Amino acid sequence: MDSSIAFLIVATAMWAAWRRDPRVVVFLFALGMLFTFAVYLHHATSALPLSF
Amino acid sequence: MTPANAMKLNAVALYAISAVLLVAFYFQFAWGELPCPLCFLQRVAFTALAVGPILTLRHGPRPGHYGLIVLAALLGAAIASRQVLLHIMPGDAGYGSVLLGYHFYTWALLGFVAAIAASAAMLLFPDQFAEQAPPARVNRDRIHLADFRRHTRQCGGRAPGVWVRVVSGHARAL
Repeated sequence: MDSSIAFLIVATAMWAAWRRDPRVVVFLFALGMLFTFAVYLHHATSALPLSF
Repeated sequence: MTPANAMKLNAVALYAISAVLLVAFYFQFAWGELPCPLCFLQRVAFTALAVGPILTLRHGPRPGHYGLIVLAALLGAAIASRQVLLHIMPGDAGYGSVLLGYHFYTWALLGFVAAIAASAAMLLFPDQFAEQAPPARVNRDRIHLADFRRHTRQCGGRAPGVWVRVVSGHARAL
Protein backbone atom coordinates (compact mmCIF):
# COMPACT_ATOMS: atom_id res chain seq x y z
CA MET A 1 0.00 0.00 0.00
CA ASP A 2 2.71 2.44 0.97
CA SER A 3 4.76 1.61 -2.12
CA SER A 4 1.66 2.10 -4.26
CA ILE A 5 1.24 5.59 -2.82
CA ALA A 6 4.90 6.34 -3.62
CA PHE A 7 4.33 5.17 -7.20
CA LEU A 8 1.23 7.37 -7.51
CA ILE A 9 3.07 10.46 -6.26
CA VAL A 10 5.95 9.95 -8.69
CA ALA A 11 3.56 9.15 -11.55
CA THR A 12 1.68 12.40 -10.81
CA ALA A 13 5.02 14.22 -10.88
CA MET A 14 5.72 12.71 -14.32
CA TRP A 15 2.30 13.83 -15.58
CA ALA A 16 2.79 17.30 -14.11
CA ALA A 17 6.23 17.52 -15.75
CA TRP A 18 4.56 17.26 -19.13
CA ARG A 19 1.56 19.45 -18.43
CA ARG A 20 2.20 22.01 -15.72
CA ASP A 21 4.49 24.50 -14.01
CA PRO A 22 7.92 23.03 -13.16
CA ARG A 23 7.56 24.32 -9.59
CA VAL A 24 4.64 21.94 -9.05
CA VAL A 25 6.82 19.17 -10.43
CA VAL A 26 9.64 19.91 -7.99
CA PHE A 27 7.18 19.88 -5.08
CA LEU A 28 5.68 16.54 -6.11
CA PHE A 29 9.13 15.11 -6.79
CA ALA A 30 10.37 16.14 -3.35
CA LEU A 31 7.21 14.73 -1.76
CA GLY A 32 7.73 11.43 -3.59
CA MET A 33 11.38 11.20 -2.57
CA LEU A 34 10.61 11.96 1.08
CA PHE A 35 7.76 9.44 1.14
CA THR A 36 9.95 6.78 -0.50
CA PHE A 37 12.69 7.39 2.07
CA ALA A 38 10.09 7.13 4.86
CA VAL A 39 8.89 3.78 3.51
CA TYR A 40 12.51 2.65 3.26
CA LEU A 41 13.12 3.49 6.92
CA HIS A 42 9.84 1.81 7.88
CA HIS A 43 11.06 -1.47 6.35
CA ALA A 44 14.63 -1.08 7.61
CA THR A 45 14.04 -3.26 10.67
CA SER A 46 11.68 -5.74 9.02
CA ALA A 47 12.55 -9.45 9.27
CA LEU A 48 14.20 -10.76 6.10
CA PRO A 49 13.12 -14.38 5.42
CA LEU A 50 16.00 -16.13 3.70
CA SER A 51 15.63 -19.16 1.43
CA PHE A 52 18.83 -20.99 2.46
CA MET B 1 26.00 19.98 -27.52
CA THR B 2 23.01 21.83 -28.94
CA PRO B 3 19.68 21.89 -27.09
CA ALA B 4 18.26 19.57 -29.76
CA ASN B 5 21.00 16.99 -29.21
CA ALA B 6 20.56 17.21 -25.45
CA MET B 7 16.85 16.57 -25.83
CA LYS B 8 17.56 13.56 -28.06
CA LEU B 9 19.86 12.11 -25.39
CA ASN B 10 17.20 12.71 -22.73
CA ALA B 11 14.70 10.85 -24.94
CA VAL B 12 17.18 7.94 -25.14
CA ALA B 13 17.38 8.02 -21.34
CA LEU B 14 13.59 7.75 -21.14
CA TYR B 15 13.69 4.70 -23.41
CA ALA B 16 16.40 3.15 -21.20
CA ILE B 17 14.35 3.71 -18.03
CA SER B 18 11.30 2.19 -19.73
CA ALA B 19 13.37 -0.83 -20.80
CA VAL B 20 14.56 -1.41 -17.22
CA LEU B 21 11.02 -1.30 -15.86
CA LEU B 22 9.74 -3.52 -18.69
CA VAL B 23 12.34 -6.19 -17.86
CA ALA B 24 11.30 -6.02 -14.20
CA PHE B 25 7.62 -6.40 -15.09
CA TYR B 26 8.41 -9.25 -17.50
CA PHE B 27 10.14 -11.26 -14.78
CA GLN B 28 7.27 -10.43 -12.39
CA PHE B 29 4.38 -11.48 -14.65
CA ALA B 30 6.03 -14.16 -16.83
CA TRP B 31 8.12 -15.89 -14.16
CA GLY B 32 6.12 -15.02 -11.04
CA GLU B 33 8.98 -13.18 -9.32
CA LEU B 34 7.10 -10.80 -7.06
CA PRO B 35 9.08 -7.75 -5.90
CA CYS B 36 10.11 -7.43 -2.27
CA PRO B 37 9.64 -4.05 -0.51
CA LEU B 38 13.17 -2.95 -1.36
CA CYS B 39 12.66 -3.99 -4.98
CA PHE B 40 9.45 -1.96 -5.04
CA LEU B 41 11.25 1.12 -3.80
CA GLN B 42 13.97 0.69 -6.41
CA ARG B 43 11.26 0.62 -9.08
CA VAL B 44 9.87 3.86 -7.61
CA ALA B 45 13.34 5.41 -7.83
CA PHE B 46 13.66 4.33 -11.48
CA THR B 47 10.29 5.93 -12.16
CA ALA B 48 11.45 9.12 -10.45
CA LEU B 49 14.52 9.12 -12.71
CA ALA B 50 12.17 9.85 -15.61
CA VAL B 51 10.92 13.20 -14.21
CA GLY B 52 14.09 15.06 -15.21
CA PRO B 53 14.13 13.91 -18.87
CA ILE B 54 10.39 14.62 -19.19
CA LEU B 55 10.98 18.18 -17.97
CA THR B 56 13.84 18.55 -20.44
CA LEU B 57 11.72 17.34 -23.36
CA ARG B 58 8.86 19.64 -22.37
CA HIS B 59 10.64 22.81 -21.28
CA GLY B 60 14.13 22.50 -22.79
CA PRO B 61 17.42 21.62 -21.10
CA ARG B 62 17.97 23.15 -17.65
CA PRO B 63 20.65 22.30 -15.07
CA GLY B 64 17.97 21.68 -12.44
CA HIS B 65 16.50 18.85 -14.50
CA TYR B 66 19.79 16.96 -14.23
CA GLY B 67 19.77 17.72 -10.50
CA LEU B 68 16.45 15.91 -10.17
CA ILE B 69 17.95 12.89 -11.97
CA VAL B 70 20.90 12.87 -9.55
CA LEU B 71 18.63 13.08 -6.48
CA ALA B 72 16.44 10.21 -7.65
CA ALA B 73 19.52 8.15 -8.53
CA LEU B 74 21.09 8.80 -5.13
CA LEU B 75 17.98 7.54 -3.36
CA GLY B 76 17.77 4.51 -5.63
CA ALA B 77 21.47 3.74 -5.18
CA ALA B 78 21.08 3.89 -1.39
CA ILE B 79 18.21 1.40 -1.46
CA ALA B 80 19.98 -0.91 -3.94
CA SER B 81 23.19 -0.72 -1.89
CA ARG B 82 21.31 -1.84 1.20
CA GLN B 83 19.91 -4.85 -0.62
CA VAL B 84 23.36 -5.72 -2.00
CA LEU B 85 24.88 -5.48 1.49
CA LEU B 86 22.11 -7.67 2.97
CA HIS B 87 23.26 -10.52 0.73
CA ILE B 88 26.98 -9.85 0.54
CA MET B 89 28.12 -12.47 3.05
CA PRO B 90 29.87 -15.52 1.55
CA GLY B 91 27.41 -18.37 1.08
CA ASP B 92 24.43 -16.08 0.69
CA ALA B 93 22.33 -17.22 -2.25
CA GLY B 94 20.99 -13.75 -2.85
CA TYR B 95 17.39 -12.82 -3.54
CA GLY B 96 15.61 -13.65 -6.78
CA SER B 97 17.01 -14.82 -10.07
CA VAL B 98 20.20 -13.66 -11.76
CA LEU B 99 20.69 -11.92 -15.08
CA LEU B 100 24.11 -12.35 -16.72
CA GLY B 101 25.55 -13.40 -13.37
CA TYR B 102 24.23 -10.53 -11.24
CA HIS B 103 21.06 -10.19 -9.21
CA PHE B 104 18.61 -7.50 -10.19
CA TYR B 105 19.39 -5.30 -7.19
CA THR B 106 23.04 -5.31 -8.28
CA TRP B 107 22.02 -4.29 -11.79
CA ALA B 108 19.82 -1.59 -10.25
CA LEU B 109 22.78 -0.21 -8.31
CA LEU B 110 24.85 -0.15 -11.50
CA GLY B 111 21.99 1.59 -13.29
CA PHE B 112 21.64 4.30 -10.66
CA VAL B 113 25.39 4.94 -10.66
CA ALA B 114 25.29 5.14 -14.46
CA ALA B 115 22.47 7.69 -14.23
CA ILE B 116 24.55 9.87 -11.90
CA ALA B 117 27.57 9.60 -14.20
CA ALA B 118 25.48 10.42 -17.27
CA SER B 119 23.93 13.47 -15.60
CA ALA B 120 27.38 14.67 -14.59
CA ALA B 121 28.61 14.18 -18.15
CA MET B 122 25.66 16.13 -19.58
CA LEU B 123 26.33 19.02 -17.20
CA LEU B 124 29.79 19.41 -18.74
CA PHE B 125 28.22 20.95 -21.86
CA PRO B 126 26.82 24.43 -21.07
CA ASP B 127 25.87 25.19 -24.69
CA GLN B 128 22.69 23.15 -24.32
CA PHE B 129 21.37 25.70 -21.80
CA ALA B 130 21.48 28.60 -24.30
CA GLU B 131 18.36 30.72 -23.97
CA GLN B 132 15.98 30.18 -26.80
CA ALA B 133 14.35 33.15 -28.56
CA PRO B 134 10.99 34.05 -26.97
CA PRO B 135 7.93 33.81 -29.20
CA ALA B 136 7.01 36.95 -31.11
CA ARG B 137 4.43 39.01 -29.21
CA VAL B 138 3.25 42.59 -29.21
CA ASN B 139 5.16 44.40 -26.49
CA ARG B 140 3.05 47.20 -25.20
CA ASP B 141 5.96 48.61 -23.20
CA ARG B 142 8.19 49.32 -26.19
CA ILE B 143 7.04 52.91 -26.61
CA HIS B 144 9.75 55.42 -25.87
CA LEU B 145 8.20 58.46 -24.28
CA ALA B 146 10.35 61.00 -26.12
CA ASP B 147 9.47 59.51 -29.51
CA PHE B 148 5.81 59.33 -28.57
CA ARG B 149 5.74 63.05 -27.66
CA ARG B 150 7.61 64.00 -30.81
CA HIS B 151 5.30 62.09 -33.08
CA THR B 152 2.24 63.36 -31.25
CA ARG B 153 3.26 66.99 -31.79
CA GLN B 154 3.91 66.30 -35.48
CA CYS B 155 0.50 64.72 -35.94
CA GLY B 156 -1.45 67.48 -34.29
CA GLY B 157 -1.93 65.99 -30.90
CA ARG B 158 -2.70 62.42 -31.95
CA ALA B 159 -0.24 59.56 -31.99
CA PRO B 160 0.63 58.56 -35.59
CA GLY B 161 0.27 55.23 -37.34
CA VAL B 162 -2.41 52.62 -37.04
CA TRP B 163 -4.27 52.73 -33.78
CA VAL B 164 -4.33 49.30 -32.21
CA ARG B 165 -5.64 47.83 -29.02
CA VAL B 166 -3.45 45.28 -27.32
CA VAL B 167 -5.56 42.42 -26.04
CA SER B 168 -3.80 39.49 -24.31
CA GLY B 169 -0.53 40.21 -26.06
CA HIS B 170 -2.04 40.30 -29.57
CA ALA B 171 -2.51 43.56 -31.51
CA ARG B 172 -5.93 44.08 -33.02
CA ALA B 173 -6.41 47.00 -35.43
CA LEU B 174 -9.22 49.40 -34.54
